[in-house]
Amino acid sequence: MVTREDIENIALLSKLFVDEKDLDSLTEEMQKIVSFADTINNVEVTTGEFDNINNLSNAFRADEVRPSLPSEEILKNAPEQAEDHFLVRKRA
Amino acid sequence: MGQIKRIHEMLVSGEITCTELTQKYLNEIENSNKELNAYITVTPEVALAQAKAVDEKLARGEEIGMLEGIPMTLKDNISTKGIPTTCASKILTGYKPIYDATVYELLLKEGVVMLGKTNMDEFAMGSSCETSYYGGAKNPHNTDHVAGGSSGGVASAVGANLAVYGLGSDTGGSIRQPAAFCGIVGLKPTYGAVSRYGLIAYASSFDQIGPITHDVEDAAIVFDAIAKYDDRDSTSQGSEPTLPTLYDDIKGKKIGIANQYLKDVREDVKAAVLDAAKVYESMGAEIVYFDLPELDFALPCYYILAMAEASSNLGRYDGIRYGYKAEHYNGTHDMICRTRSEGFGKEVQRRILMGTYVLSAGYYDAYYKKAVNLRGAIVEAFDRAFEKVDVILAPTAPVTAFKNGYLFGEETDQLEQYLSDICTVPVNTAGLPGVSIPCGADSEGLPIGMQLIGKKFDEKTILNLAYQYEQAEHKTIETKWGVKL
Amino acid sequence: MKYELVAGFETHVELSTKTKIFCSCTTAFGGDPNTHCCPVCIGLPGTLPKQNEKVVEYAIMAGLATNCEIAEIAKMDRKNYCYPDLPKAYQISQYDKPLCEHGYIELSNGRRIRILRIHIEEDAGKLIHNHGDTYVDYNRGGVPLIEIVTEPDFRSIDEAKEYVERLQQIMRCIGVSDCRMQEGSMRCDVNISVRPEGSDKLGTRTEIKNMNSITNIAKAMEYEYERQCDLIESGGAVVQETLRYDDATGTTSSMRSKEDAHDYRYFREPDLVTIAVPRERVKEIEARLPELPEQKLRRYIEEYDIPEKDAALLTRYRSISEYFDKASEGLKAPKTASNFIIGQIFRRLETEADKEAFEVKTSAEQLGEMCRLLESGKLKNNLAKKTLEQMLDTGKSVTDFISESDMAGLDDATLTEYCQNAINAMSAAVNDYKSGKEKALMAILGNVMKQSRGRADAAAVTKKLKELIG
Repeated sequence: MVTREDIENIALLSKLFVDEKDLDSLTEEMQKIVSFADTINNVEVTTGEFDNINNLSNAFRADEVRPSLPSEEILKNAPEQAEDHFLVRKRA
Repeated sequence: MGQIKRIHEMLVSGEITCTELTQKYLNEIENSNKELNAYITVTPEVALAQAKAVDEKLARGEEIGMLEGIPMTLKDNISTKGIPTTCASKILTGYKPIYDATVYELLLKEGVVMLGKTNMDEFAMGSSCETSYYGGAKNPHNTDHVAGGSSGGVASAVGANLAVYGLGSDTGGSIRQPAAFCGIVGLKPTYGAVSRYGLIAYASSFDQIGPITHDVEDAAIVFDAIAKYDDRDSTSQGSEPTLPTLYDDIKGKKIGIANQYLKDVREDVKAAVLDAAKVYESMGAEIVYFDLPELDFALPCYYILAMAEASSNLGRYDGIRYGYKAEHYNGTHDMICRTRSEGFGKEVQRRILMGTYVLSAGYYDAYYKKAVNLRGAIVEAFDRAFEKVDVILAPTAPVTAFKNGYLFGEETDQLEQYLSDICTVPVNTAGLPGVSIPCGADSEGLPIGMQLIGKKFDEKTILNLAYQYEQAEHKTIETKWGVKL
Repeated sequence: MKYELVAGFETHVELSTKTKIFCSCTTAFGGDPNTHCCPVCIGLPGTLPKQNEKVVEYAIMAGLATNCEIAEIAKMDRKNYCYPDLPKAYQISQYDKPLCEHGYIELSNGRRIRILRIHIEEDAGKLIHNHGDTYVDYNRGGVPLIEIVTEPDFRSIDEAKEYVERLQQIMRCIGVSDCRMQEGSMRCDVNISVRPEGSDKLGTRTEIKNMNSITNIAKAMEYEYERQCDLIESGGAVVQETLRYDDATGTTSSMRSKEDAHDYRYFREPDLVTIAVPRERVKEIEARLPELPEQKLRRYIEEYDIPEKDAALLTRYRSISEYFDKASEGLKAPKTASNFIIGQIFRRLETEADKEAFEVKTSAEQLGEMCRLLESGKLKNNLAKKTLEQMLDTGKSVTDFISESDMAGLDDATLTEYCQNAINAMSAAVNDYKSGKEKALMAILGNVMKQSRGRADAAAVTKKLKELIG
């Protein structure tokens, strides 16, 4: 059973606001999807542990420095910046 | 002859200059995009500069490559340096990547002409293109219908001749389904065949970039150009070229049809696929019917895993480094929550919440962990099937293109939309290649698509079979739109 | 009632690789804000991590040096939490398949602190809070870390202090980290609980986060121990929580806020592949591992007869033990070099950082040369100390100070001159010697020694005189 508390908890973890008025309908909607997801629990799994899709291992990079980007490039898309830092103003 | 080869010959013979060609496409985009909504961003400066370079090369009498000067488009989740890349989301408003995706780098080396960035479901989450912040792309065969999703913009653009070809991405069918809806060709490569570097992630262990083209030969040409190992993507391996065997005879090939694939499919779609099987039989292939019971849980398994990965992949949109940032807030935490709540659309938020749920304490074992194990079972089931057959033939979608708003109406059950991915997701779950090609039309004239599914890294076999069918049947329906050559 | 302290450590150690764990940006400390960054380490959409091979190697070295088992198969996982210093909103770490497990570090009291696991992960960026505004610098973001987690095996604060020092010594010795707590390249979280003495049940624990000096660790543990004891004594109960230690007030306080929901939703990092560690690879890394501080310490004490206290100082920093090893090469008594290092060189290094850097003007080779002269008797004991002081002041070699004025043995020209002077002045003695009176030579030798003010080597003078007299 998906509860309102579940939704509130996962919304907090997801950093999303859920309006109090939408909570019930969202709970109901999530319950439907969860019930659908639940159908996998009717199946027995007999295979071994799944690793990664192509069973790859050891894709490494040598420890060699390459130039970083200038801070102007790094900060280019920042909604706000100051003194070469990304900035979150307090506002209110 | 395929579209790309034809245009290539026109450029080489001087029948048309690359600039004229590019301008034609830009004009048609200008004329039709309002109605089709295929493009989010059109890049005439970029395209014309690239075209000019090709013309100069031709003027110097130099040889040009097959893809050189061919106007194309990229789905708007493929990063392009200095060109807006929105993922059709409000949250990436104003974002201009500071680097190019590997696929775009590869194509730039080929000398392509990039017309612009095309529409999609927001963060590739959807099957109709209607979750786009910019509104959905329309079907060129009937604009009352959707182009499909999530790569609806590429499919609409290519289907309407507003680009020769495009690159889409396929996480659960997002290349094949819109290609089927728009009556063109869409190839979802084997997981790892094409580098994901620069593709904005939806579900990392499913996502693959692939071509959406007018015909199978084009798909082979484009695939061969982008299926390269990339050391920036640890999961990348490249794949074998497909062109050398594209035109081969298919006599003796074994084509499997899994009964489960036909179960929940509309009658006319099923009939079209079975007709195609007969065509193959007549060409000397052998049809084998078999059971693949694991398909029954592929869909919930896929959704659990894809949403889980998505919930993590989309955590980074916090208004600090790029994109949209809420205007009014109180403190950092509040800013992040507001930015995300205002910036993400409803479907994206739903999938983030669902993904968070299946990973959260207390539910992890029942959902995420169980789905991972089932994924292993699905991989093994396909492995067993491919011991008996060379390819699997299936419908691409259970229906033809949805009516606009049909699956995205306020009252529409979300589950219904998820269920429409039933035919495409098993391929992603098992990491296999699949190509969708047109195989008929419904009573309203909307295209029907079928897919050929192959063994891992065996794109050459499915393209070979797709090519032979295409040449025998000519099921492509031309539309009234776009550039006529 | 008397209470026993029970503590465990989680220590983050920054690895001294050249590049970050998942991209090729430098790990250099400092640098202007956001200048050691690229699309990968600021988590731009579409970027993918690529694993630094050296990080895996260093973690295996750390595991071997702390007696861990090295996993044959390991993998990376995502630890999801949203915070502005974490650009992807997840930290790539290791959850259920860490690289190293089940090791230990032995303390001087003979107790073994069990190491539960060592895993690799990425560091976060730096936040600067200013009047409610937050400034973010991602230079440190993606710098490789190992996290070393112990069992709750500590029973005293002294054990905790010794453990941290040992860990520093080991990591520095094998060269995987400089472990500079003041620069944040080593940070400790401590879990603490108390229980009535004799009880074997664990009490409710609290966790003190992010301490960056041994002094603070000791003070925080002391405070927290007292706080928990008082709480229980007064009938209260310890609440399981995360604490921060405030250096200024010497107290701990809760870090909890309602905004932090803690559920990391670990799952396998799909952008990276499995890490397979073949056994040959482990053997090969093991073979390259330098002598560990513990082994060195034993060797210094047992083979070189160096007092334990001195040996401990020598092995504290890799730079010092390397200096000593080089200086004592070929000496009959390596202890000689040790005495000079501890007695004289150390006195010139005031701070821990100076000792760690161990930058002295006299090279190990120069100290070795001096010790050899001392052993051969060419440098007299009473002159050694003063000579070394001069060497340390100037960086010059031993021969620069003693060849002219102090070395037992003069250069050939001077020696010849002195001998000739003596022969000329003492013709009677010369004649006596020539006629067979061996003893007469002693008188001539005495004259030479007088001229050289005792610096000449008697054997060398005798030989020279015999030569000249013929």
